[in-house]
Parts: sequence; C-alpha cells; structure tokens
Amino acid sequence: MLATKEKEFKMLEKAAAEFARKELSPNREENDKYPFGPFWDDIVKKAFDLDFFHVLLPETLEGMGLGMQSFCILLENICEVDASLAGIIFTNSMAQEIILATGGEPVLKSMMDTATDVYGHLFAFPAFANPSEIEPTVTAVPADDGRYELSGPMEYLVLGNIAGNALIPAKIKGKTGYVFFTCDMASDGVEKSEPVLSLGLHACPAVDVRFFRAKADLIGDAGNGKAVFDAVSTRMQCAAAAMAAGIMKGSFKEAFDYSKERFQGGRQIIKWSEVQMILAEMAVQVKIAETVVEQAGRSIDEKQKGWEDGSQAAAIHVCQMACDHTCNGIQILGGVGYMKDYGQEKRFRDAQQIQSLLGLAPMKKIGYIHRKMQRI
Amino acid sequence: MKELDVSHYIYREPRFDDIMCDLKALPVLPKAMVKEAQWAIAYARKFNEEVIHPQCLSLDRKMHENPDYLPWDFIKAANEWGFYTLFIPKAIGGWGINGFVSPFVNEEIAAACLSMANLIGVHYLGLITLFSTFNMRIIKEIVGDVKNGEKTGEPCLVSLAITEPGAGTDVEETDLIDKSNVACHAEKVDGGYVVNGSKIFISSGHVSTWHIVICYTDLKKPSENVIALAVKTGTKGFSFGRMEKKMGQKACPASELVFEDCFVPDKYVCLVSDELTDSRLKPVEIHQKLIDYVTSATRVGVGCLGSGVAKAAYDKALKFASETRVGGKLLLNHEWAQCMLAEMYKNWMSARLGYVEGNYANTLYTTQNDVAKKSGYFMNRIMTKWFANRVVSPMMDKPATTRKVRRQHLDGQPLSAQQCASGWASLSKFSGTDLGIKNCQMALQLMGQAGLRHDRGAEKLLRDSKLLQIYEGTNQLNRMNLFKNMIGRGFQQAMDFPE
Ligand SMILES: Cc1cc2nc3c(=O)[nH]c(=O)nc-3n(C[C@H](O)[C@H](O)[C@H](O)COP(=O)(O)OP(=O)(O)OC[C@H]3O[C@@H](n4cnc5c(N)ncnc54)[C@H](O)[C@@H]3O)c2cc1C
Repeated sequence: MLATKEKEFKMLEKAAAEFARKELSPNREENDKYPFGPFWDDIVKKAFDLDFFHVLLPETLEGMGLGMQSFCILLENICEVDASLAGIIFTNSMAQEIILATGGEPVLKSMMDTATDVYGHLFAFPAFANPSEIEPTVTAVPADDGRYELSGPMEYLVLGNIAGNALIPAKIKGKTGYVFFTCDMASDGVEKSEPVLSLGLHACPAVDVRFFRAKADLIGDAGNGKAVFDAVSTRMQCAAAAMAAGIMKGSFKEAFDYSKERFQGGRQIIKWSEVQMILAEMAVQVKIAETVVEQAGRSIDEKQKGWEDGSQAAAIHVCQMACDHTCNGIQILGGVGYMKDYGQEKRFRDAQQIQSLLGLAPMKKIGYIHRKMQRI
Repeated sequence: MKELDVSHYIYREPRFDDIMCDLKALPVLPKAMVKEAQWAIAYARKFNEEVIHPQCLSLDRKMHENPDYLPWDFIKAANEWGFYTLFIPKAIGGWGINGFVSPFVNEEIAAACLSMANLIGVHYLGLITLFSTFNMRIIKEIVGDVKNGEKTGEPCLVSLAITEPGAGTDVEETDLIDKSNVACHAEKVDGGYVVNGSKIFISSGHVSTWHIVICYTDLKKPSENVIALAVKTGTKGFSFGRMEKKMGQKACPASELVFEDCFVPDKYVCLVSDELTDSRLKPVEIHQKLIDYVTSATRVGVGCLGSGVAKAAYDKALKFASETRVGGKLLLNHEWAQCMLAEMYKNWMSARLGYVEGNYANTLYTTQNDVAKKSGYFMNRIMTKWFANRVVSPMMDKPATTRKVRRQHLDGQPLSAQQCASGWASLSKFSGTDLGIKNCQMALQLMGQAGLRHDRGAEKLLRDSKLLQIYEGTNQLNRMNLFKNMIGRGFQQAMDFPE
C-alpha cells in the first residue's frame, strides 16, 4: 500500500516537474504579462489534458480520486516555476470541494457532462475571501421556477472571465448567514469587468462581477455556508501552504545558482559569508516548508487526529515564511532580482498574493486559536 | 556633582559625537529652518494632491502595459513646479530651499508615489555627485542648464552612472573595487578622454540630459584611478541601451548607457583622483571620500523613501481598517488589528527617527553644514540675483575657487566626521527600507484581497519598496559599511571585508 502510494507520488511529481520545466519555464515572463498580453490558453488546456485539474476529483466524476498529499505535490512542483497555473487549479478545486462537501456530486456531474471545452469544466470562485470574515455582498432571492436570482456586486471573482460556471457565496434575503450558489457565467444578468490587475498570479485572472437577477442554483442547505467553507478551507489550507513551499523552492534554487555564477569582490558571491548566511536561512526554510506540508498532507489523507491543526498551521507558517524568503530571493540577485527577466520578482509577488488565499492572514491565526479554545 | 571629573567617560564608545548628532546639530541650525521646513512640506503636499495622486496609479498601469513608455508628462510637471532646482542654493541659481529640508520633502513625495519621488530624487543623486567633485565651473554650467530647462519648460535632468554589468556592490567600496570586474575605461588622449564600456540600471537615464559617469583610467587599479565625467545626451559615441523591465518603481526608467569610443573633452572632466596633486589625501582616499560624500546624502535620501512608504502602507491599512467590517465588526475595533496598526505606526516612526538622525549627522559632518548652519543659511536667504550673477558666477569659473573648495572639503573633513556621516547614512538606509517593506507586507496581510488589487494602491507600495533594499548599495553592503565606520573602528583586530 505504502509502496503504491510512493510510486503514485513519484509519478505525479515527475509529470508536474517536467510540465513545469518544459511548458511553464520558457514563457514565464510572457505569460505573466496578462492581462496586457494574451491568456495562456494552450497551457491551461495541456494541463487539463494531463489531468492536473482532476487530482482531487473522485473517480466517479472521472477524476483521479487522489488525496491531499498528491494535490500538494502537484501544486508544489508547478509553483516552483510559475504559481499562476497552480492558482487556477487551486481555485477550481476549492469550488469543486465545496460542492462535493454539500452533496452536490450530481450537480457537478451534470455540469461536466454538458461542458463543451476545458473552461466549461472550470469554476470561478472568490478564492481570496473568507465569506465569514467580510460579508458577501451578493443577495439571493427565490425565483418562481424553484431557482434563485442573484443580485449585487462581487469583487475579485477568480477565473470569473474564463470559467463556464461560478460558485458564489450569497446571503438569502431574510435569512442569516450565507450559502453557496452555482451560476452559469454566460447567463443573463452577469456583468463582468475587465480582468483586475493584481500584485501576483497575473495569469490566474480575476474579475469584478455584478449580478442583476442572474439565475442560480442553491448548493447545500440554506445558512450552512460557513460550516461548509470552514471545513473545506481547513483542508485546502494545506494546498495553499504547498503552493508557498513550491515558490520557496524555486526561489532558493535560483538564488543558489546565481550566487555561484555572480562574482563581486573577486569571488563568487556565495563565498561571502553574509550571502551564505542568507542562503542558509532560505535553505532551512525550504526544508521546514517541505516537511510541514508533507506532514500536514499525510495527516489529512490518513485522517489523523488533529489534521485540522496541521493544515492550518502549515498555511499560516509556510505562507508567511514564503513572503520573507522570496524577499531574500530577490536580494541575493541584487539589481537583476528586481527585473522581469529573472523569476525572483514574480515569486515575491506570488508568495505575497498566496498568503491571502482563503481570507485575511491574521484572521487565520485567530481562527486557529478559536478552534483550540472551543476544545477546552 | 559638577566637581566630579567624569569628562573622560564621554570619549568612550559609543562616542557622544556618534549618538548625539541631534543635540549637537540643533544649536547650529537657525530657528528659521522650522518655517522653511513647514513651507517645503506643505508645498510637497500640494504637489502630491494636484500632480501625483491623480496620475500615480494610472501611470503605473500604463507602464505595466507599455514598459518603454517615458513619463515626460510627470517630469514636465515636476519641472514646472520647480522640483529640479528647489534644493539648489540661490547663489547658483536655484530656489534655495535648504538641503537640510530635502529629506522631509522626499518623504512626503515618497508617501504618495515612490517612482515619482525617484524621478525627482535621482536628479539630486546626479547633482550631489557632481557637487561632491567640487568642480565649480562644471557645476555652474550644468546647474545653468537645469535652471534654463525650468524656464523653457524643457526639463534638464542629471543622472549618476556608476553601476556596471559586472560590478554593482564593488563600485561602492574602494576595498572591493580592485578585485572587481569594472570595465568602463577612460583613456587619456589629446584634449580629453575616450570612454568605452557600459553602465546599467541608471535611474532616469533615458530622460536625463546630463550624466555624471564614474569611470576608471586604469582598470587594474580602479581604486586609485577614478574619474568623474559629465556626459551630455547626444554626445558622439554615447547611446542608450535597454530599459529594464522592473517589478516596481515603473515610472522611473532604469537605463543602460553605452559608451563606444566616446570622446569627453577635458572641460567635462569633473574630477580625476590621481591628478589632485595638491591634496594631502591619497587617490584612494579621495575616491572613498567622493563615494562617502555622495552616499552620506543619498542613503539618508533612500531612508526617507523607506519612511515615506512605511507611512503610505500604514495609511492604507488604517483607512481599510476604519471602513471594513470583519467578522461582524469594524476591523479597527479588533484589538489585534489595533496592535498591528500601532506596530506599523512604530515602524514608520522608527524609520523616520533613523533618517532624521542621519540628516543631523550630515548637517554636522558633510557639505550640508555649509548651507544649514546659521551663516550659510542666512547667506542663502539674503542672496540677491545681482550678487549671484556678478560675484558668485564669475568666481565659479576660476580654477582657484575649485581648488579652495576642494581643499576645504576633501582635506578639511576629519576621518571621524566622514565615518559618522557614512555610518548613520547606512543605518538610516537599511533600517528605513527594511521597515518600509515590513509595513507594506503588514498592510497586505491586513487588507487581504483588497490589498492585492492594483486599483487600491497597496500592492504597488510593496513592489515599489523592494527596490529600496537594493539600490544605493544593498542593505547587506550598508550593514557592512555601518560596521566598518561605527563599530569595527573600535577594534584594531577588525578587518573590512575579511574573507
Ligand atoms: C532599478 C534600479 C535603479 C538603480 N539606479 C542606479 C543609478 O541611478 N545609478 C547607478 O549607478 N546604479 C543604480 N542602480 C544599481 C544599484 O546600486 C545596484 O543594483 C546595487 O548596488 C547592487 O549591485 P548589483 O545589482 O550588481 O548586485 P551585486 O553586487 O551583484 O550583489 C548581489 C548580492 O551579493 C551580495 N554581495 C555582493 N558583494 C558582497 C560582499 N562583498 N559581501 C557580502 N555580500 C555581497 C549583495 O548584497 C547582493 O545580495 C540601480 C539598481 C536598480 C535595480
């Protein structure tokens, strides 16, 4: 069993790393120009064909039915080169996981059956918000046909301009709390902005959306949005940590390689002990991140006691480390680290962006301690 | 108590002179400086409101879209508002706002937009380098061009070009440069020098008219053979290469300057370190002094930028917290958020305190003393156009003036003064910029999704601020410089760049 798992991990790691090296690396700078350059349509399609979007999906939905560890391996390897693609995969998976957690497998199935292209399979989702923190601004009203009508603005809907469907947190008029709705993004009453220019993950686009009585379907029971989001996001935090860990690995590798090539003061800069000290700190951070993510992923897959703590702690700690780490990653390269033709500046931006996945970073800490307090 | 003789304790480390720059500088400064500072800060705020705020984000967005765009509109506006001559003494044709006040203005503008602050500040980097050669004739000519540019509405900016593809950190330290890969060579020929090589990352390069170019007459021993040349855009053999595609500070171009058999006549040689035969300093000491005079001023300048961005990030976070409900209540009323905001406020103030002390150190120990102390201050204030044109201007053409000023500043500045100013400049640079980054990161944490959007302005602060840790010597180099100047000097066994 263990051996099969190991083999499965190795294969996925190899596939992801090779894809990142061959497909993502050569055009990293070009792809990052979005929205002022073309969208990397072919890359998304290739990743889809390689089943990178199907890792967590159950086999009944033609997914790979793999666990969190596998998902983390995939994201980590992609992020080592370009985290934007991982952002797309993460967002879509987060939406799918929420739908599945609410017993929405039939809904997913029917959407997939009707999808005519890659984007028809994808879900847009506000991946950088926790609807329990900042109240949803979209309101749902029951319609005559048993469906709902969504109205109101929604900021920063990730994949909103490319995905066929969206999963939208909204309040039902007259009820407390919020709940999730699926909505066809091509339907009447969905108005999308131009892509929002953001700090990082440029090729993982987001748009602002305004709904005008757009038809939508309720997922789960009214009012249970928070419980579902908390449960799924606790699991997915581990994946966010994996993304941060991947970025750190890429950042360290580039810094380490550069420090052997660059000469200052008549020697490779790696020979200066202050440079060694920074590199050492970065190397230690990478090791810690790898270990923490691996352990958290395993505890989720094996449903070990306290897996929630592991997943959340991983996200809080590794995402913060990645922000500091990538700052040093630029520093080791000096001026060229600040330039687009090297990968470090993008990693710095992407790491900072990832820290806000699934909500405000400080609130994740508060959430972590609240859960512990509830256990007392 | 007074009878007890404790005077010798004052000479112990830490030296009183190092840690009490403010106390020592205050009596030197005229009272009127307060009013001048108030006016200049208010003027910068007006400029922010009318010029920077309306276009800072749109210009940054435009640069995302077209990285080769040159921000002439902004430069022309800054020129029209007088920012390119604001801190030039009246005696040589500027507005005469005291140099002591310039860090406060820098900070204000940086809090509105770092790239635009750089588009103004880098011009003074070029000018300060020129001033630090004390070549009065060339200073007069170039400042004349800047002044004329203000009159005609055709801005004349000055850049500093020292960094080379193979030598960044190395060119900032005479201890390192002899082992470096510097390649910008100036060969003596009849009537001038022929320059070959290239410079990279030169801020405002593409938009500057004059470039103060640091080259070497002997690449085997650059520490003793430095030469500062003034090269005008359009000079034969000098061209612009690529413009870098940067993460932030996008509006301020970073340019490659290419020199191919570029002839620079003797009249544009600002300083040749090995030809100052009447100085008691060795060429390498003159070289280090040139570096220190420049960086003592400009690193304090970058410290201000760090402080400015620390303030901007704090402002953004505070505004967000005061408008946004999180978990059912205003973010501002979460205790942890209040503590975070207090921490950010502290970071900003700490950055401020660092550069303010660096500014006092410059007032005591560098050329800033000439204009900031009471006599210099009032001379500048009462300077008439007539006196400037009839008396100062002809004097500046005389080689004897240059010799006299050089003697005063190159030979006259004691090593302890040079060390204190240089040490404080490094301290204010790396602490201010580290704190600036810290605040940007904290703002983004606090704002989450809203902070990531370009249109909210917070993410730009982070992108822009990262550069502050790199230019004017990386923060690592500045730590080493602080050690060398204010810590290691107390230990005979301590070596500079020991490995
Ligand atoms: C956008 C931008 C604008 C700029 N503007 C100007 C300008 O207007 N004019 C100008 O002349 N220059 C300018 N610079 C150049 C800037 O000053 C240099 O980038 C800076 O000095 C660092 O040099 P470097 O980039 O070559 O890095 P390197 O010197 O190659 O440094 C790489 C890394 O090695 C470390 N390192 C190097 N030597 C040592 C050592 N001895 N001990 C320990 N660590 C060491 C550094 O700290 C850094 O982490 C600009 C740079 C940028 C990016």
